[in-house]
Amino acid sequence: MKTWHKVASLLVLTGVIAASLVFYFMYNKPHPDYENMEAAFTLSSADLYKEFTADKTKAGNKYNGKVVEVTGRLSKVEVADSLTICVFAFNQGVFGDEGMRCTMLPGYSGKAKHLQPGADLKLKGFCSGFNDTDVILDKCSFVK
Amino acid sequence: MKNLALGFLCLLLISSAGFTQKFITKTGHIKFFSESPMEKIEAHNHQVKAGLDVSTGDMQFIVLMKSFEFAKALMQEHFNENYVESDKFPNATFTGKVTNIKDVNTAKNGVYEALVEGKLTIHGISQQVKEKGSIEVTDGKINAKARFNILLSNYNIKIPGAVSNNISKSVEITVEMILDKLN
Repeated sequence: MKTWHKVASLLVLTGVIAASLVFYFMYNKPHPDYENMEAAFTLSSADLYKEFTADKTKAGNKYNGKVVEVTGRLSKVEVADSLTICVFAFNQGVFGDEGMRCTMLPGYSGKAKHLQPGADLKLKGFCSGFNDTDVILDKCSFVK
Repeated sequence: MKNLALGFLCLLLISSAGFTQKFITKTGHIKFFSESPMEKIEAHNHQVKAGLDVSTGDMQFIVLMKSFEFAKALMQEHFNENYVESDKFPNATFTGKVTNIKDVNTAKNGVYEALVEGKLTIHGISQQVKEKGSIEVTDGKINAKARFNILLSNYNIKIPGAVSNNISKSVEITVEMILDKLN
């Protein structure tokens, strides 16, 4: 085999391996580490709720898909299946409490379950949006 | 006479409140599943808000698209950015009725067939749907279940040619919600 044939084969092989590795790592890339991500916004849960109830489209464009850090006084903790949800209630409606629902990351569920209503909290999570009664924060963690 | 009218009005209000029986949840579960020769795709959303009025059969639910969780981060990204465009269309909704709600006795434990009709809106497109499900009553709680298929093309969800073999054109939706009586 001529030298240039060998070089070309080696280049093609290297290219194929590199492309396969890129595909493999892209395909299997991990989910974002929300616990250690910097919050894009920091505000009170009441103010965030107010922004969504005033104009859900405008607030959605601003906050949806972002990590948001909020403070607030806990109304209750709900446990449903594998979810532990810290609730900040600001209103009552057809669907009961309305406000903000923060679903905790599994590593923070234990602590959340022991919280008492009235506790002052600071937490951050991924803003999934507003379901017409509640602002939903997912993958939440407590902030020290 | 005035007192009699007032008393009648109070009685009317009390009795109509008695007939309104709403069941709600904010932690309903929706799964979607697609299987193609190349791969299986499954996503779960455990934060579905739903309400059922058993006096009228009126039913509604709202789902935040960004709350769907996938095993693979890349699939979740593609789902939100390319397929359902969740920045533009953050919610999917259903508004309709359980048309045979009179057959469901919420005072008696049991499993009842539920015929559901209404408007399903995904990706900003609304379609009339008519599906069968079940309502299981257990000690005053309702477990509503349904499984049905939707065609992505009916909701203007386009699959790029490069991955068209990986994603089925039809997606199976499974709904399971435990609704509590609203006090």
